[in-house]
Amino acid sequence: MKFCYLLQTLRGVPLGYRFTLYSYGPFDSTVLSDLNTAETLRAVESNVTFYSGGYGYRISKGERADSVLQFAAPLLDKYRPDIEWVLEQFGSHGSADLELEGTIVYVDREAVRSSERLSVDQLAQRVRDVKPHFNEDYIREKVSTLREHGLLKSCSNAATARG
Amino acid sequence: MSDRSQARSVEDQRSRSERRPPRQPLLPPTRTRRIPQPILTRTDTGFRRNRQLVRLGALLHDVGHAPFSHASEELFPDQEDGEGNYAHEQYSAAIVRGPLKAAIEDHKLNQGNYGFTADDVAALIEGSAAAKQGIFWRDLITGQMDADRMDYLLRDSHHAGVQYGRFDLRRLISTVTAIPGADGRPPRLGIEYGGWHAAEGLVLARYFMFTQVYFHKTRVAYDIHLREALKEMLPGGHFPRPTPEELGQYLKWDDWRVLGLLAEGKGGEHGSLLSTRNHYRLVFQTNEVQTQTDREKLTRVREKLRDLLAEEMPAGKSWYKRDDSDIAVYRNRDGQKTVAPLSEYSNVVRHLGSRDQIFVYCRPEHRREAAKRVEEAIHRLA
Repeated sequence: MKFCYLLQTLRGVPLGYRFTLYSYGPFDSTVLSDLNTAETLRAVESNVTFYSGGYGYRISKGERADSVLQFAAPLLDKYRPDIEWVLEQFGSHGSADLELEGTIVYVDREAVRSSERLSVDQLAQRVRDVKPHFNEDYIREKVSTLREHGLLKSCSNAATARG
Repeated sequence: MSDRSQARSVEDQRSRSERRPPRQPLLPPTRTRRIPQPILTRTDTGFRRNRQLVRLGALLHDVGHAPFSHASEELFPDQEDGEGNYAHEQYSAAIVRGPLKAAIEDHKLNQGNYGFTADDVAALIEGSAAAKQGIFWRDLITGQMDADRMDYLLRDSHHAGVQYGRFDLRRLISTVTAIPGADGRPPRLGIEYGGWHAAEGLVLARYFMFTQVYFHKTRVAYDIHLREALKEMLPGGHFPRPTPEELGQYLKWDDWRVLGLLAEGKGGEHGSLLSTRNHYRLVFQTNEVQTQTDREKLTRVREKLRDLLAEEMPAGKSWYKRDDSDIAVYRNRDGQKTVAPLSEYSNVVRHLGSRDQIFVYCRPEHRREAAKRVEEAIHRLA
């Protein structure tokens, strides 16, 4: 979910999803419908993995992955650098970090749509309002990192903070 | 009236009222107060406020639907930022912020108790960061167990005269709970262990309503005619945008206006097909879950039908989504707390998968010839 969001938002890959904000960050149920279809085609396998107090899903290659990949080869080749970039930048991050990073980018793009320029502190505060279970300093650190990589637009290095 | 007859009348009334089943509220009282408060750091006052906000969001989240709701969604215009076409939720949010703003903000009960702004409600509907922690409740507005879904399945089932959409609403609602977050994740809504069969019933009710009612071949055909007739009626072939300048024009497009225009003979060829109920006919359908053979058949049918193929309509749906939006089941057994997705308990839900069926239609006057060609196409593959 978050990889799709980052791929579409940060790299402009036209996946056609319409993300809105939920408890776990940017979300579009169509991504999960597509995942279901991929499972039905046996392109992927999805298995539940449990950890203390919760669970998650492990998505892996299905038995017919290669034939589906072959079918989608022209599209995948076109966007391969973008897919590789997202995996390089975020591939090793855990689900909680991806949730936070996705939310930061989402809040940033919302601010851009309403023509706002935000300081790191202002952006971090907005994210904290939505995600109070994250430590304030940790959010600020993540905002700063994304900003340094030029991935934020409302508080880019060139942007002048308001207020 | 004599005293005796008056007494009998009162007695009759009492007796009648005693025979009548007690009046039930449309929905049973919610049990949000049972949600462990430390999970959400909410006081009773906070819960009451949130409950009212969720009610407003649930009530208004679909006010932005176009005439005949989903049938005409494809006719929403493109967004300026290149992110596809507008969605009905964006129209809902615009209506809340515009024409409904005063009704919300100036309402005495709101002013004296909650102080909601139209933006508070709109942010919850559209999933904006301005909803702040209220985002937690968004699953109740739009999710696998949202209030709308629970309502429309029962309502449509009743009005369509079918039993498919029924499930145990009261049991399901009474087992809704908040589940603590783990591994750095936030808390989320889910159900208690005792409610998982009721949740399974909801998933199955939706499966049956879609396969038996919403995806009925003739109902789907009318989606085509409505969409195409509306395209003829709308200036430029699409609805006005949800902007302050155009929203008023959009709101004038309601079911009545469309029906009136159809009665006047507007809507072109498709308007005429609607008025005369001479709808497109289904000539071929793939299986609900397409196999490779299905896809080959479909390709062959397309080739054979050529100019007789009037329209193809996808009738696809995912019955139960995994990952972030799945239905989490919370079990507290002798102090041992576990969380697992519904699909871990329900064998049926685990194997429901998704549907990617395609319907192929022809014009009514081509029905026989089209059926013949389809037969030839399939026969050649057999």
